[in-house]
Amino acid sequence: MSLVSVQGLSVVYEPNGAEPVPAVKAVSFDLDQGDFVGLVGESGSGKSTLGFALTGLSRPPARVCAGSIIFDGVDIAGLTPSQLRVQRHGGFAMVLQSGMNALNPVRSIRNHFFDIFAAHGHVAGRDREARAAELVGKVELPASVLDRFSGELSGGMRQRVSIALALSLEPRLMVFDEPTTALDVLVQHAVMDTIRELQKAERFTAVLISHDLGMVLEVTERVMVMHDGLIVEDATAAEILAAPRHPYTRMLLSHYGDPRAAVVEVPGLASRGTERATNVAQAVAGGAPVVEPVVEPVEPVVEPVETTPTVRRREGRAAREAIVVSGVSKVYPRHSRRDQPVTAVNDVSFTLEPGASMALVGASGSGKSTIAKLITGVEHPTSGTITFGDLRIDTIRRRQLKRLHTEVQMVFQDPYAALNPLHTVEYALTRPVLNYSSLRGRDARRRVLELLETVGLTPVEQFAARLPHQLSGGQRQRVVIARALASDPQVIVADEPVSMLDVSLRAGVLALLDSLRETWGVSMLYITHDLLSARLVTDQIMVLNQGSVVEEGRTATVLQNPQDDYTIRLLDAIPAPRSSAPRNPS
Amino acid sequence: MRYLLGKVGLLLLTLWAAVTLNFLLPRLMPGSPADAAIAKLAQNGPVSPSTRAAIEAQLGVPTGSAWDQYLQYLNNVVRFDFGVSYTFFPQSVASLVGTALPWTLVLVGFVTIVAFVCGTLLGVLAAWKRGTWLDTLPTVGGTFASAFPYFWTALLLLFFLGYVAGWFPTSGAYGSAATPEFTGTFLLDALYHSILPATTILITSLGGWILGMRSTMINTLGDDYVTFAEANGLHPGTVAIRYAARNAILPNLTSFGLALGGVVGGSLLVERVFSYPGVGYLLYTAVVNQDFPLMQALFLIITISVLLANFIVDILYGILDPRTRR
Repeated sequence: MSLVSVQGLSVVYEPNGAEPVPAVKAVSFDLDQGDFVGLVGESGSGKSTLGFALTGLSRPPARVCAGSIIFDGVDIAGLTPSQLRVQRHGGFAMVLQSGMNALNPVRSIRNHFFDIFAAHGHVAGRDREARAAELVGKVELPASVLDRFSGELSGGMRQRVSIALALSLEPRLMVFDEPTTALDVLVQHAVMDTIRELQKAERFTAVLISHDLGMVLEVTERVMVMHDGLIVEDATAAEILAAPRHPYTRMLLSHYGDPRAAVVEVPGLASRGTERATNVAQAVAGGAPVVEPVVEPVEPVVEPVETTPTVRRREGRAAREAIVVSGVSKVYPRHSRRDQPVTAVNDVSFTLEPGASMALVGASGSGKSTIAKLITGVEHPTSGTITFGDLRIDTIRRRQLKRLHTEVQMVFQDPYAALNPLHTVEYALTRPVLNYSSLRGRDARRRVLELLETVGLTPVEQFAARLPHQLSGGQRQRVVIARALASDPQVIVADEPVSMLDVSLRAGVLALLDSLRETWGVSMLYITHDLLSARLVTDQIMVLNQGSVVEEGRTATVLQNPQDDYTIRLLDAIPAPRSSAPRNPS
Repeated sequence: MRYLLGKVGLLLLTLWAAVTLNFLLPRLMPGSPADAAIAKLAQNGPVSPSTRAAIEAQLGVPTGSAWDQYLQYLNNVVRFDFGVSYTFFPQSVASLVGTALPWTLVLVGFVTIVAFVCGTLLGVLAAWKRGTWLDTLPTVGGTFASAFPYFWTALLLLFFLGYVAGWFPTSGAYGSAATPEFTGTFLLDALYHSILPATTILITSLGGWILGMRSTMINTLGDDYVTFAEANGLHPGTVAIRYAARNAILPNLTSFGLALGGVVGGSLLVERVFSYPGVGYLLYTAVVNQDFPLMQALFLIITISVLLANFIVDILYGILDPRTRR
């Protein structure tokens, strides 16, 4: 008999006074003891809702409205809260998505363990200290973390602690909800290895919920693909790799590629060879639609933008300029006497030619966002110079910032936080138009609609009237890009513009950024930790490690033939579902 | 420990600054107390030079350099010597403040703490039992009660429970026949007199604490560590108190510090309505009678109490929130 048997499970969201929304629709599956199963889907597919239901954590407005979850012979969907609480020891545990915040900031790590031991009474008082030390040892942390508070630990350490806490319940089923999403690339890899080894050693049944099909295929034996509340495919990892049956799975899979390959292709984006920019419009038109009509893509891949004379506003503007960064360092002063001053950027030099696109790649803390701040004049470098034409950015005064920002604009990482939720799209775009151009009244409005058309949000009138919450993540990011374009800039600094978006939406936004360069000659500094997207939209690449450039050159050349150890580690950390050779965990 | 030393240092520094400002401000004002007194007399006819000399001799004219005056002033402050009150001549300011301060501290201070503790507990309960009558009753009741102005509640209580029903005395801190001393009968009498003013303060301030705690608690209940604690099967009580409420109380401590600091200075209206012989009533008298020495001493006391309250809250933060200790 299987450990978990889910039959016809449905979960609805019933917000106060609103129509109930089904999130999980009559889902059935079995899990055997010791299985390692992946649950994959994009945001809104219901995968986390299902994970919460599996561990008895459905809270209003979510409600299990039909079906059963038989865990070891008991239907946990029908238990009272206190029965459920007792079941958790030796039952089911959950590791949350944002493990960074899963720890109580005012309780020491030791007390977290002791609270669990006290609640279930499965560890005697005198053994508790030793047991807690043993558990943190299992996730490769020293026993000294028990004395610490969560604020004193790094993100990876916190996620390891929450895994150890979940483990202290001696669970037979463990659900990992996006356990590494919030972590740095290299740390992600290490934490995932720990999870994999623990699962092998302890033989608990594990469910790994993730949006990242590549990672799931690499780690798990069996994969369930979820789409719109339904499990559309349930097969072994090998089967899915070899012959994905459902179009949605095929669509997800098509967005993976190896940045080291000679030709890289994802739907809607051209492969970028060793030479300069291939024509994107051609690639979009030429690439066969991978998504079959059965599954509606949440957002259509961007159509090539028609460059009408009204859109091209380059005429009469100053000649295009390059951004020249030479010998720039940024040192942040120490906070207190115990700290050391932090060198965020160390002697970095490069030139961003007009119309070029350059990737700035590195793990978090490598100084790539600091460089973005320096180039946009938000902060001044400690030493070195940055020039844009005759404008000295490194010593720029507040009064000149407006001039700089007319030409250099920024696209932010989080499209959910970059738009004021109280204002319509039109308002968000009208502000910079009024600010940076002399257009007023009807002309300004026409310009706003033009911008929306440029970023492919049509019908424009409809989108102009919407509020941010009525847009998908990809659509929001397009609005953010349109806002950056309002001043008709020469340079766009894009800081991880797609890292918060679903895989299927990423290609569209990337294609948009690329087409801006093609049609308008906007140069782009593309900041990312994602080497695949860097390969797709940039010609030049710089790899940063702890503030210093460790490698630079043509994107294709560097990625195909990496010289620096750090670049190789970054490349290794990318899940490569289609590469058959098994990689040894580092 | 470093945290504590830092906070003590900060307290001493701000205390010194407050005392110095209290010295400087009156000297930056044009005129002198003697001028003010003479100007008042001059309304009834010319003032003779001998009268002026007598007034100046009575009030004292500063001698020596400003620096000497400052040292003299510091010396006096340390010995609690604030001179003699005009209004209650020849009583010293120190003795007046000394008699009034305990009444205010005990009544308003105690009630403020009680209101904070009760309000916070009710707020925790309301958020934890959200949507039930345990939530609705304190929330609606608290909003209703705190919507009344301070003095209006006081007048209502005074009128209905004092005059109409006659259950409670309408003024003073103790009966006219009693003399302040530490005996059981006197303490009971004082307690009896304090019920109406205490109830007024409790009614008007409780609602704010309930609502404040409820809303921060609801936010914390949505935090991941609370969900994770539930996922780990902790006792509901542990989750509510040690995980949710323990974090939710932190932002409210700041408001508590402000309320505590306002105890000495902010009790003016209630003490006035109930003729309660506390600092607020004394301040009122001092202002009405232009009693400069008394006012100066009271302002200093009020400033110091605000500083001390903030110091206490800082220390509480240090104990309750490990993040501030670094």
